[in-house]
Amino acid sequence: MISSILLLGGIGFLAALILGISAVTFAVKMDPREKAVLDQLPGANCGACGFAGCAAFAHEITVNPEAEMACPAVNEEALEAMSGILGRSLGGSAPLIACIRCKGAPAETTNRYGYVGPKDCRAAQIVAGGSKGCQYGCLGLGTCEEVCPFGAIIMGEDGLPRVIESLCTGCGKCVGACPRGIIQLIPRTGNYSVGCISKDTAKEMKPLCKVGCIKCGICADVCPFDAITVSKTTSAEIDQDKCQRCGLCVSACPTGVISALRAPQKARVITEKCKGCSICEQVCPAEAISGKVKEPYFVNEGKCIGCGLCIEKCPSDAIERIIS
Amino acid sequence: MKTFKGGIHPPEEKQLVKDNPIVDFPLSSRYHVLVQQHLGAPAKPVVKAGDEVKKGQVLSEPLGFVSVPVHAPTSGRVKEIGRIVHPVTGLLAPCIVIDADGRDEWADGLPLDRDPFAMSREELLDAIKTAGVVGMGGATFPTHVKLSPPKDKTIDTFIVNGAECEPYLSSDHRLMLEQPGRVLKGAGVIMKALGLDRATIAIEANKPDAIKLMREKAPAEIQVEALKVKYPQGAEKQLINALTGREVPSGGLPMDVGAVVQNAGTCAAVWDACARGIPLIERITSVTGRGIVQPKNIRVRVGTLLREVIDFCGGLNGAAKIIFGGPMMGIAQFTQDIAIMKGTSGVLVLREEDTNITAYSACISCGRCVEACPMGLIPSTLSKLGEKGMYQKAMENSLLDCVECGSCTYVCPANRPIVHFVKHLKALSRAAGAKK
Repeated sequence: MISSILLLGGIGFLAALILGISAVTFAVKMDPREKAVLDQLPGANCGACGFAGCAAFAHEITVNPEAEMACPAVNEEALEAMSGILGRSLGGSAPLIACIRCKGAPAETTNRYGYVGPKDCRAAQIVAGGSKGCQYGCLGLGTCEEVCPFGAIIMGEDGLPRVIESLCTGCGKCVGACPRGIIQLIPRTGNYSVGCISKDTAKEMKPLCKVGCIKCGICADVCPFDAITVSKTTSAEIDQDKCQRCGLCVSACPTGVISALRAPQKARVITEKCKGCSICEQVCPAEAISGKVKEPYFVNEGKCIGCGLCIEKCPSDAIERIIS
Repeated sequence: MKTFKGGIHPPEEKQLVKDNPIVDFPLSSRYHVLVQQHLGAPAKPVVKAGDEVKKGQVLSEPLGFVSVPVHAPTSGRVKEIGRIVHPVTGLLAPCIVIDADGRDEWADGLPLDRDPFAMSREELLDAIKTAGVVGMGGATFPTHVKLSPPKDKTIDTFIVNGAECEPYLSSDHRLMLEQPGRVLKGAGVIMKALGLDRATIAIEANKPDAIKLMREKAPAEIQVEALKVKYPQGAEKQLINALTGREVPSGGLPMDVGAVVQNAGTCAAVWDACARGIPLIERITSVTGRGIVQPKNIRVRVGTLLREVIDFCGGLNGAAKIIFGGPMMGIAQFTQDIAIMKGTSGVLVLREEDTNITAYSACISCGRCVEACPMGLIPSTLSKLGEKGMYQKAMENSLLDCVECGSCTYVCPANRPIVHFVKHLKALSRAAGAKK
């Protein structure tokens, strides 16, 4: 009994000793900063940085002082932490988010034929160019959902993918996977998206899709900031830098293809600060501000297009942006 | 009897149409001639709306060496340069729409009467290119390119492919029976262009009448070989292997083992091009399957709408699937508003009971596809990689050697669309290659 305990204990001790010694002798020397940087990276190994995974990128950015932040998926907090660890500023680009540019759910569109085969949009695309009537529309087999390393895309009940804003890191994996180029990366601050990239004219589109961009140009006409371009053969495109989130395009679009990614902005007069100078009333292009001179003015939210001209011009900083 | 390793035995189903003599498809009132009917560089239309054209007139100019023109199938007026669904890509592609004037007049000087055996090699190749001749078995690769091997390749074998191993189809069979002269003389012209003094005509043993007739008619330098009935006996690499024992190396072409293979229909088109200057504007097509009322072998002009062809053959009868080409490698169509092309060897109309449109399940690793694969690949592995989109791994498993013959898919008890997976993987690797 005793001898067996001693024998087994002895073997265990010997093995532990060998392991302990080899762990010290053969330890792989790793820059402690590399480990710290790796902890800050998302760990999804999505490959968007161009390296073989998060560890490979962490190594590169630690040992190469020239290396720039190539990970599109880090948030600002982690970026700051990494800059601290490496003792140099890591310039990151403006954060991006994936945006699905098709609203043509199966209920709104027609099919050319019934597809049977692998459930992968890329495989479906090689069968006569995809079964959907519209050659630009979403095939709805969920390849974007499949490839998203962050679980940020889910296929909705209507058969179209949805981006979960809080999970999307803008890595762009889905963009590369979509055979129809429907997914685009837009600035996280983007306000609106046009749910159509079709190059078909209104006449060509009519039998194919009820909700696509018919290139009527109303959105471009109503936009007070020239932020929308549209032509006969290109769907409306929104310049997110010029867009001021007024929301006029959304309400004007006859097919409802433009959706708001966030609620429209409005102006509000801070009554305590307003001196009643009437400048805001004069600059407002929407005639949304009214009031009496020397008394606080007020904004009619229904008319306000959120352009921000009044905020810019107010001499007493008495107007603020609010989310409607 | 000579054959290759692997392969399958699908029901032949040739009885539906093989005994029907070729009939001429009547002149249509309108033709839709696709500009791109060949593999390779594109061609550019050289006519515009309103132009008067004559039968055989050039409608498009090839852009590059691996490219051929298309020609007017009849005389008439160009209505427009329109768009029509391309039978191969399924997408709208440019086509030249011609309203026929009913006179069917040849362009100036056509047809010629010249002796191809008095022409030089360059003149022959030029005549073949100018006539827009492509491989008529279905692959539509420009014929003059195949006949222009690089200097470092010595060609010692020329095979006329009359195997027609695709089930249902009989267009080459009827051609060999009814116009053996065109095929044999065309083969002679190709022998001259290649500088060879012998050739072999390979015919599957299920066409004894064609074998007999060819043996009677063929000159001494053209040998007729009967091949075992097995699919894909008519695939280029398998045919070479069966007849010569040579194996085309991985990633290589038949010319790497000194062989050139031309379809019987292509030989006939080569004869027309060289001896008479007639461009490739019509072909023999088998319209067959149980879903068509009267299966026929028709001589049809390129650019004829499928709708008219189906009407000519008595209409559809419980059709579930329409395929351009044979059941193994043909391409399913979703509309009847498509045009017959140079490579349309058959129009196959299947009924529900002849098709198998059901879901597939997981690979059970039974190995039947491995036995069937004529290229010696492991299709089960490729299909599993296809499910995951792992094209790099698939490349290591000789993805690009797959000829997409469909033997694996045919035998798969789990009903897996293995060829579809392979095409998917090839597309992924092409896309990745394009990005680099």
